[in-house]
Amino acid sequence: MTVSSYRVIGMACGHCAGFVTEQIERIPGVTDVAVDVDGDTATVTSDRPLDIAEVRAAVEEAGYELP
Amino acid sequence: MVGDMGGLDGISPKEFIGNFFTSFMHDLVRGDEDPATVVDRYHTPDIVQVADGHLMDRAKLIAHTRPARKHQTGARWEVHEAIADGDRIAARYTLHFQTSKREGSVDVYFFGQFAADGRMRQAHMLTRAVPVRASDEAQLST
Repeated sequence: MTVSSYRVIGMACGHCAGFVTEQIERIPGVTDVAVDVDGDTATVTSDRPLDIAEVRAAVEEAGYELP
Repeated sequence: MVGDMGGLDGISPKEFIGNFFTSFMHDLVRGDEDPATVVDRYHTPDIVQVADGHLMDRAKLIAHTRPARKHQTGARWEVHEAIADGDRIAARYTLHFQTSKREGSVDVYFFGQFAADGRMRQAHMLTRAVPVRASDEAQLST
């Protein structure tokens, strides 16, 4: 099991958290996503190491950005 | 209350709040100005917004506008009612939005305070996602 935290730019409310969670959960191997809007972070649990490019693509698909 | 953005002089609170958000989003999405410039035109430097308990200052507001500019293809504010008291406005509205990926509607319960020139000084909002009505889908514009 792998747990990684990512800084996500642009989130402001619970709806933002929902959009980001929804997209990251679609990455194969992801088992849990915890988004902290006030801390600008997404903590992702997966059963394999994730490529940063996969996470970046998911976050951008949701409409937000990684630094 | 006066101002370029239509303060409460000669305009109803309902029109003011609708015009404020529509104009802000239009400038943000349609123009090519830096988002910070647009944010500063509509908000005082000490702007504080609290949406669903999440605090958003000027820096976070600017960061939040970048995704909107990048992805938003349409937005419409349906203001149900608004009441003004001095420089404060309470309003109940539904934001209908469309991005390249999704569309949605959000009910918003808003309490805000504005500067004399019409810029927003502070706002507290509670929001709730609601189903998109078929009649709203064709009316989205920026």
